[in-house]
Amino acid sequence: MKLLLNMPVFSRPSLAFVTALSLLCVAPVRAETKDIGGNPPQKIDVSKLRTQVEDVVIPVPSEVFKALDKLGTPPWASEVRVNEKGSTPSVRTHLSLLFGTVVADGFLAVQAKDADKVKKIGRRVLELATALGVRSNVISHTQSIIEAADKGDWNEVRTELDKTQGEVKSAMEQLKDRDYSELVSIGGWLRGTEALTSIVRKDYNADRAELLHQPDLLLTFDRQLNSMNDRTRRDALVAKLQSGLAEIRPLIANADADINKDTVERINGITSDLVRAISPMSATSTP
Amino acid sequence: MKRCFSRRLLQPASLLICLLGLGLLRPLLPFARATVDDSLTFALEAIDEYIKAGYTLREDTWGGDLPVGEAKAITHQLFKGNDYWFCMGTDVKGAKISVHIYDGDGNLVEEKSWQKEKEANKGGGAFAGASVKPKRTGTYFLIVKVEKSAEERTPWGLVYAYK
Repeated sequence: MKLLLNMPVFSRPSLAFVTALSLLCVAPVRAETKDIGGNPPQKIDVSKLRTQVEDVVIPVPSEVFKALDKLGTPPWASEVRVNEKGSTPSVRTHLSLLFGTVVADGFLAVQAKDADKVKKIGRRVLELATALGVRSNVISHTQSIIEAADKGDWNEVRTELDKTQGEVKSAMEQLKDRDYSELVSIGGWLRGTEALTSIVRKDYNADRAELLHQPDLLLTFDRQLNSMNDRTRRDALVAKLQSGLAEIRPLIANADADINKDTVERINGITSDLVRAISPMSATSTP
Repeated sequence: MKRCFSRRLLQPASLLICLLGLGLLRPLLPFARATVDDSLTFALEAIDEYIKAGYTLREDTWGGDLPVGEAKAITHQLFKGNDYWFCMGTDVKGAKISVHIYDGDGNLVEEKSWQKEKEANKGGGAFAGASVKPKRTGTYFLIVKVEKSAEERTPWGLVYAYK
């Protein structure tokens, strides 16, 4: 089965092909099953959950963006930026962080339904993937991003952006570059949080600010950064990152307290500073 | 991807194709060995109806194997305002598995949940699903469990989607 899955021919099926096969061979789950439901306990003792599964999953920016969409009409267009002529770092640590921020920019462009910017970001993603040595892993997905943007199929663009990031992280992990894989996620989270705080601070309300309540993610990032190899940890940008994230952590740790506007401003300041350090905007960048 | 806990074990697009293929091939492979990979294809099969209903599938997946009666907790960040479906699968015939969603204080918060067994003449296997519309943004626990199985350890896979 793994052989089958690894065959490149199966790496990007066309939607029509998948749909046709679905109709031919997959009956819906409910048609071939019988219900065997049970009654779960209403309350569990979370302190006894010793067999927890590694770190919390890092959400892609579109998860929080979608939630924000339901709390009003965020001005997504003003948050999208495209750094077409941005420099491409030669250090993989920096490249990985930058890759994560650019994918996050892609999710922002999707929220803004800006096909032109989605396509530009898709091309930039491919450039960075090439610099990371994983071009072949993502080229089909970046092509799909561009095609889906042309059709205005935003859900498909989101899916393909997630797949692109997933492919790059998988490829890095296969190359024993787990640190870089984690830096991709951290870069994406930072850019997503910068955009989130930028929107919330301009039109503050407590419900919107509550989306920043992500303490376990910050703990996960801290654990990940602490367990990276010495060379990565000695990198000035990574050190700056760790310090910035440590500053954010206490600001969002209290689940019972509202995150006020000042706190949102502070988080925005920290994340903007970090994103600028990762991805200095060129003169031709379009905000 | 990790053995007992693996994310990104397989890419969903590839898994979907494999799943589709298995729809044809499963009757021809009754003695195929159960694996986490196969279980993930069951999980993807289970979540397919929600994807068709507009949910967006996440790339991150989990998988492992568990003895009967032992639960495993997965910590997960959920956002108020979103709807989530988590679907679990195993290809072990006659097994019963479950996934349930608790908040950070240990309260059951799922909106809906179900467990289903695939008919033996359709290849066997089992599915479970749970949905939640979080009332607060924060950390939640997904509790996965093998309730019944003839195997000493039962492989399972879990995927999720949001909208």
